[in-house]
Amino acid sequence: MSDFSHRMSFAVVVAISLVMTTLCTSCFGDEPDGCEADIEVVTLHVSSPEDFFFQATDSMQVVFSTDSVVTFAVRSGADVSALSPVLTLSTGATVEPASGSTHDFSQGPVIYTVTSEDGKWQRRYRVNVVPTMVTVTDTLRYDFEHYELETATQRYYMWHNTLPDGSLGNDWATANAGYRISMSTAAPMDYPTTPLAQGYDGAAVCLMTRDTGPFGRMANKRLAAGNMFLGTFDIRIAMSDHLHATRFGIPFTDRPDRFTGYYTFEPGPTVQDFYGNPIVGRTDSADVYAVFYRNHDTAGNEVVLYGDNVLSSDLIVAVAELDYVAPTSQWTAWDVKFEYREEVDEQLLANRGYSLAIVFSSSSAGGDFIGAIGSRLCVDKVRLICRHEE
Amino acid sequence: MFLAVMALGVNASVLDSIRFDARLGYALGGTIPTHIGKEIRGINSYYPGFNFTVAAEVSYPLSQHWSLHSGLRFELGGMDADSRVKNYDIEVVRGDESLSGIFNGNVRIKSAQRRITLPIQAMYSINDKWNVRGGVFMGWLTNRRFWGWAYDGYLREGTPVGPKIEMGTEPGDRGDFDFDANMRHMQWGIDFGVDCRIWRRWGAFAELTYGLSNIFKSDFHSVQPLRPLYGTLGIVYRIK
Repeated sequence: MSDFSHRMSFAVVVAISLVMTTLCTSCFGDEPDGCEADIEVVTLHVSSPEDFFFQATDSMQVVFSTDSVVTFAVRSGADVSALSPVLTLSTGATVEPASGSTHDFSQGPVIYTVTSEDGKWQRRYRVNVVPTMVTVTDTLRYDFEHYELETATQRYYMWHNTLPDGSLGNDWATANAGYRISMSTAAPMDYPTTPLAQGYDGAAVCLMTRDTGPFGRMANKRLAAGNMFLGTFDIRIAMSDHLHATRFGIPFTDRPDRFTGYYTFEPGPTVQDFYGNPIVGRTDSADVYAVFYRNHDTAGNEVVLYGDNVLSSDLIVAVAELDYVAPTSQWTAWDVKFEYREEVDEQLLANRGYSLAIVFSSSSAGGDFIGAIGSRLCVDKVRLICRHEE
Repeated sequence: MFLAVMALGVNASVLDSIRFDARLGYALGGTIPTHIGKEIRGINSYYPGFNFTVAAEVSYPLSQHWSLHSGLRFELGGMDADSRVKNYDIEVVRGDESLSGIFNGNVRIKSAQRRITLPIQAMYSINDKWNVRGGVFMGWLTNRRFWGWAYDGYLREGTPVGPKIEMGTEPGDRGDFDFDANMRHMQWGIDFGVDCRIWRRWGAFAELTYGLSNIFKSDFHSVQPLRPLYGTLGIVYRIK
């Protein structure tokens, strides 16, 4: 009888274990089909890449999840009438027209439609291959007149610069998309980077250090400095690696000499530390600088500068920094000269081997989540004056 | 008057025949999805919490073999489950702010509850040694916690074609959630047990409890419906 009870108890234990084991393994159905429909990478293979691309690394473009336009800037003499881009897609996704199919890019962009493995989702991409003249300009003008609500969400503003031919470019980036992760209810004008209709001359851009709300407090990321920079913002790592989400710099084919513009800066009342505690006696400071750097390392890898090395990288060639952004509510001019650390290589310059980053931030230590909520830096009429060798 | 005396007489004999038990058990289990979807690809780890049950129970005989069994149980429940998911719908809410979308990666879920339960069971005594029981229970949560995080993966914000946001492992880099306030106070379900008298007043028991109510309120959709399921093993002492 005692033996029986032992066996019975054992049976119950086995039964319970079986239930748990069943839950843990055999109930899992077949792996669900993928629901993503991205082009992740576009690669262009051509017979003589050195005549086609400015840089060897230009043949491959990694596509951000938020991008739906992919542009290859190639040498002005390049033949783009029969190219076969190879597309890397989300797992299981299909694309029409097919990856590797041949198209004439001289007639404008080719539109690709990607369908997810489960067939429920689609994305459309425009791929451009644009023969690009290396232009030589005396002055680049950034007036912040062209802004609009971001197309997909309509939640925050983005800016366009005016290109030499009068069309609009996407050289300016902000971290507004990252702010949306923590503050989904914020209105467009409550984001860190907003337009100011009446600036020094027409519209200006306004950067304000903002509270990141309950999500920010939970994550010890209590504030978001307003920022605006030449480059791209990588939303993918905004949460996991924020200092690398700001990719500073765009290819630049002139020698910058002077960096000028107009600003107002009003520091917020109380600087707070990483934990949100006030730092008594400290006044918030803003960032206004431009960095000119080599965009490939010695091993030939493409490089952009990030939040943690934009002022310290070995690849920096010249810096123009407004040392002290004095608080003022009046529009105040700045004019700083680029301090060169090394000679500019003409050949490399012509091959788009240098990049330029212009960076504005309403709290200098915002990358470490230190600053004063309410600090406000407005910027207008930015000029980049270039010099040419005689 | 006669009836009253009769009633008292009956009550006295009823009281004599009622059996009182005390139980101490340890439960293994947790909350499980009502249906394990294809979205859950595997369990990385599972730890049952510190799940003790203390109960005082009564059995009221109805016939030679059948009794009505009830009582009060005080249960500590909890779990810590870590699973791998694909195309998993998540929504993280803090105050008025929310972040939702389709997550691919790992999800850690922890829960802890304190529950007072009233079981009502029919008990069948096979012989002097063995009893089997089955019935329903009502539970009231006096303390409830449900929290966790999505980590080492990425979220497609909003829809599968929305922005891709990577989530890391550390607090602040991952997606934390906390759904204490979304849990129901009341739970109900079914349970089955078997008791075995081993020595004098001492015996062993095993019980399987399955909640038929979602542990979350009906207007809560951030996590798929979960129900309690656990097995309890323990000792029982016949008080009278």
